[in-house]
Amino acid sequence: MKKTSDDKSNLSLQQQGEMLLALSDDITRIRDKNDLITLFKKRIKGIFYFTHTIVTLIDYKDETYTPFLLDNDGSPIRNHTRYKEMVHAHFSLNEPFIQAVLKSEGPISFFLADIMDQPLSPPFLRVNYEKGVREILMTCLMKEGRPMGFVHIYTDKPDSFTPAFRSMIKAMAPQLSSAVSNIIKNEELQNKEGEKSFLLEFSNNIAAVRTKEDLALTVRAALGKLRPRNGFVIRRINEDNATMSPYVYELTNKPDPKILRALENSAYPISDGLQDRVLNSNIPMLFNVDREISRGIRSAYLQYWKTLGFTDIVGIRLRNGETNLGILFLDIDEINIPLLQGVCSQISIAMANIMANDMVTRKQDEQAFLLDFSSDITQARTRQDLQDAIFKVLDRTIHTKLAMLRVIDDDGIHLSPYMYDSSLFANTPEHFEKMVHGEVTVHQPHTAQVLASSDGVMFNIEEELKSGSDYAKLWSSTGLKNVYGLPLRVGDKNIGTIWLLANRLSQLILKGICAQIAVAISNIQANEKLLAYKKQLEVENDYLKEQIKTIYNFSEIIGNGEEMQKVYRLMSLVADSTSTVLVLGETGTGKELIARAIHNASPRKDKLMVKVNCAAMPANLIESELFGHERGAFTGAIERRIGKFELANNSSIFLDEIGELPLEAQAKLLRVIQERELERLGGKQLIKLNVRLIAATNRNLEEEVRAGRFRADLYFRLNVFPILLPPLRDRAADIEPLTQFFVQKYSRNAGRKIKKVTPRLLQQLRSYTWPGNVRELEHLVERSILLATDGILDEVYIPPSTDASRQNAAILLNRSLDEVERDYIIETLKRCAGKISGTGSAAEVLKVPGNTLHSKMKKLGIEKRDYVV
Amino acid sequence: MKIVVIGGSGLIGTKVVARLRQEGHQVIAASPATGINTLTGEGLAEALQNTDIVIDLANSPSFEDKAVMEFFQTSGRNLLAAEINAGVKHHLALSIVGVDIMQNLGYMRAKKAQEDLIVQSGVPYTIIRSTQFFEFLAGIANQATEGNTVHLSDVSFQPIAAEDVAAFVTGFALGTPLNGRVEIAGPERFELFDVVARYLRHTNDPRKVEPNGKPEYFGGGISHTSLVPAGEASLGALNFESWWSRQAQPVA
Ligand SMILES: NC(=O)c1ccc[n+]([C@@H]2O[C@H](COP(=O)([O-])OP(=O)(O)OC[C@H]3O[C@@H](n4cnc5c(N)ncnc54)[C@H](OP(=O)(O)O)[C@@H]3O)[C@@H](O)[C@H]2O)c1
Repeated sequence: MKKTSDDKSNLSLQQQGEMLLALSDDITRIRDKNDLITLFKKRIKGIFYFTHTIVTLIDYKDETYTPFLLDNDGSPIRNHTRYKEMVHAHFSLNEPFIQAVLKSEGPISFFLADIMDQPLSPPFLRVNYEKGVREILMTCLMKEGRPMGFVHIYTDKPDSFTPAFRSMIKAMAPQLSSAVSNIIKNEELQNKEGEKSFLLEFSNNIAAVRTKEDLALTVRAALGKLRPRNGFVIRRINEDNATMSPYVYELTNKPDPKILRALENSAYPISDGLQDRVLNSNIPMLFNVDREISRGIRSAYLQYWKTLGFTDIVGIRLRNGETNLGILFLDIDEINIPLLQGVCSQISIAMANIMANDMVTRKQDEQAFLLDFSSDITQARTRQDLQDAIFKVLDRTIHTKLAMLRVIDDDGIHLSPYMYDSSLFANTPEHFEKMVHGEVTVHQPHTAQVLASSDGVMFNIEEELKSGSDYAKLWSSTGLKNVYGLPLRVGDKNIGTIWLLANRLSQLILKGICAQIAVAISNIQANEKLLAYKKQLEVENDYLKEQIKTIYNFSEIIGNGEEMQKVYRLMSLVADSTSTVLVLGETGTGKELIARAIHNASPRKDKLMVKVNCAAMPANLIESELFGHERGAFTGAIERRIGKFELANNSSIFLDEIGELPLEAQAKLLRVIQERELERLGGKQLIKLNVRLIAATNRNLEEEVRAGRFRADLYFRLNVFPILLPPLRDRAADIEPLTQFFVQKYSRNAGRKIKKVTPRLLQQLRSYTWPGNVRELEHLVERSILLATDGILDEVYIPPSTDASRQNAAILLNRSLDEVERDYIIETLKRCAGKISGTGSAAEVLKVPGNTLHSKMKKLGIEKRDYVV
Repeated sequence: MKIVVIGGSGLIGTKVVARLRQEGHQVIAASPATGINTLTGEGLAEALQNTDIVIDLANSPSFEDKAVMEFFQTSGRNLLAAEINAGVKHHLALSIVGVDIMQNLGYMRAKKAQEDLIVQSGVPYTIIRSTQFFEFLAGIANQATEGNTVHLSDVSFQPIAAEDVAAFVTGFALGTPLNGRVEIAGPERFELFDVVARYLRHTNDPRKVEPNGKPEYFGGGISHTSLVPAGEASLGALNFESWWSRQAQPVA
């Protein structure tokens, strides 16, 4: 089987020596595989004949040898079907052919035909034979006294391996050995260098990475150099710390976009038996997709990988310090640990930075935005401001519109719509209108759930539709999937609910927004209440002032004359009750004073009596003055106003000059008196009332009714308990105390001491007809005090021709003297309360003796009933 | 079958590799020298591709408590993870008789940790607990030598020849995984000081062996019977004399 050739050498020893020397130079210059091949192909082939050469190396760990260097051009077996297999095969050292080579002292040749079919012979012998090769010359390469590999020289011509060839190869063997060692070392060094510069470059590129997009570009470029067959995937551990999702990837075989989207949007559980294994392994893990599937790993991505053609994959954890960030899956089956770990540590750092950066910017954005929102909201003075701020924040942060914001009413049961964006329901405006104004209470199922929840409730619209809820029907018109109901809470007090429609919402930011909205609404509500209270206080204050003034002016009603005694009796009869009182009397007779006295004597005296002068207000405003109005009830109604009736609730209202009330207002007043409740102008709410009504007028209401200026029905309602105030001319007895009272009051005011009012003056005052009644007297006294000297008041300025005297003059025109005299005496008697003689009597006023007056009365037929009212 | 022997260049490893190759298996003798390092994971995944059986006969280069624990834990984790990935069907490891009752010794704690990782891994396994190797006697003598005297305990000792260990390892490795432990030991039981003295005599070592009467091993207190099998054990064929006669005689 062996053939030791002893052919004659064609070369002389000297020639051989020279040739060897030359070759030796070349061999020492060998740096890489190419150099070695060139040596064989160019130099040696020029001297000896052979077809091709290869070098194999021994792998001691499994006692095999495997091709290291192939002569690609010369080899005739390159088109053999088993060529590829040969290139990667490990051939056992434990068989006779190679053992013979190992034992041989020098190069040893074999006829392929002799050995190739031996049971354990390596297959490359037959493969070569099949391509025409006939003989092989094997030479052992040694390293440190141990075989390291072989030089295989093949020939298709017998007798090519001449003794000269053999001896030359033998002589070259040590140099060839060191050349191969050098090549190996060189390759290792180059690889190391390559790795180093690769890592350095990668590291430089990675250092410039700021965003995920940068990272993707850099990683794609770098990992591309490792030539993964089908690409790579970087997965990132999600915020839930329980799943992973694709972060950056590159797939050579572009999958179906649908599959790709599914992959991108998936969150794979970490603990699936594979991802957790990679994360727990401190070394890169090489695994096989099929084997993992058959091991029972159910994760969907394995199936996708399989369809994408992934077979063996290396998984390396990406970790920053002690924290796992994700995994790099790389479709290679050769693991260069230092390289991969170098790459992964760089990716990890970049990823950690990007993630930290992202988080910071996200937080900042969110904070900045919430801050903006917060300032917008705190600056909101009105609902409109608030609404603008809320619409904006919802649009910007969660890209949705406000479906509804309801606020719990004062009753704690009902929820009124406070704010909403009806454009959301543009498809079904009528349905929306209906639902908006439908009654909602805290017991309504959705509302109850939301109010009871801590952070709100998500309702799936499709689910809700099944229950047939009208709300669900409304919601579904938007085409969105879910409804989020959140409680608006200040502290732990529910103040309302907020409803948002969306497919998905970030709960976290929602919570912050809701908290702010709740505070803002409660502020605005408080503000509104405060304003209302303030208004009420102001109004009350005005009345208080007025009342104090009145009390000061009329701390008691002056005058105890008989006429007044009758009035007092009536007042004390009616004061206790809630009956409507109608005070009648000429102007200046003190109707308001009487009204106040009635109120002050009633059980309502602790509350302020509210006074309205019906004559003092423009007709178009009187209704709102009396009954109040809602915001926007009419042009100019900018704010809500509480009417005087509402203000007078549980107290008394005094309607002065009721005769001046326009007919329209009369109708409303009548309704209020009848129903004992009222509705603000433009309002929908009925307000229960408990008001005691006191009305006054100087008109003859019966006449007004007859003339059609006053409603009869209202008149009957008012005229339940009329009190007629006597004119001052009928209260001659009260002239003196009244005069004294005003003198006191105004002298104090004017800083003048008036010691005395002369009887002459009093006499004069009693003779006057007082068309302006008590008020006229008061003004007269006030004026006279300023003119008084010496502390004595003995003169007043009485106007010469008052309306009354002119009227009297007119009456006088067509009358006889007797008639005039008779009327005048009756008039005077009336004024003097029927007193004929004595102080304050008609005789005094008429300046005739009492007897004379008596006889005159008899003569003129004046009887008691003529002058007693 | 493709078999990877971790520590294939060690005392037991070389013998096991030789026996398996003898039987015609494709064997990778893995060690840092052949580019396979269980501590760093280098070469591990490639070596394990398409492997059926892994035999772990590696040992820590350092016996210092922390280092040895680190070695067996990290190596164990890396190796078992790679085996799971590669779908290895049988993992065999060589542990020590009495390992769980000598947990006061750092080395024993590390071996126990190695065993625990195997049991928890889910890879089908066989753990062989062996007594000390005859080849280890010299080391025991050296660590107990003070001046010219070797101070040794009289605890029971039942050493086994590396050749026998290799035979057992080969046999169990090729069998079905036990998913449990077996114990192997030498055929003869001695007192520790006595067999060391015998060994020194055979090697013409001038040192004197003194029994110190203390039940201890490598300086740690143990019971008299900690180092010998408590129950059933497979016994090696070679006793002290037959082992000795197979050793290359030292040049006197
Ligand atoms: N000694 C005893 O009495 C005894 C008793 C029972 C059980 N055992 C156990 O038997 C086993 C084998 O013991 P032994 O005496 O045969 O050991 P050994 O001769 O010291 O051999 C240790 C082997 O482990 C290899 N190794 C070291 N570090 C490695 C690494 N990082 N990765 C891969 N391989 C590595 C070594 O490779 P290199 O050659 O390249 O360094 C060597 O092949 C040990 O687990 C030991 O605990 C020993």
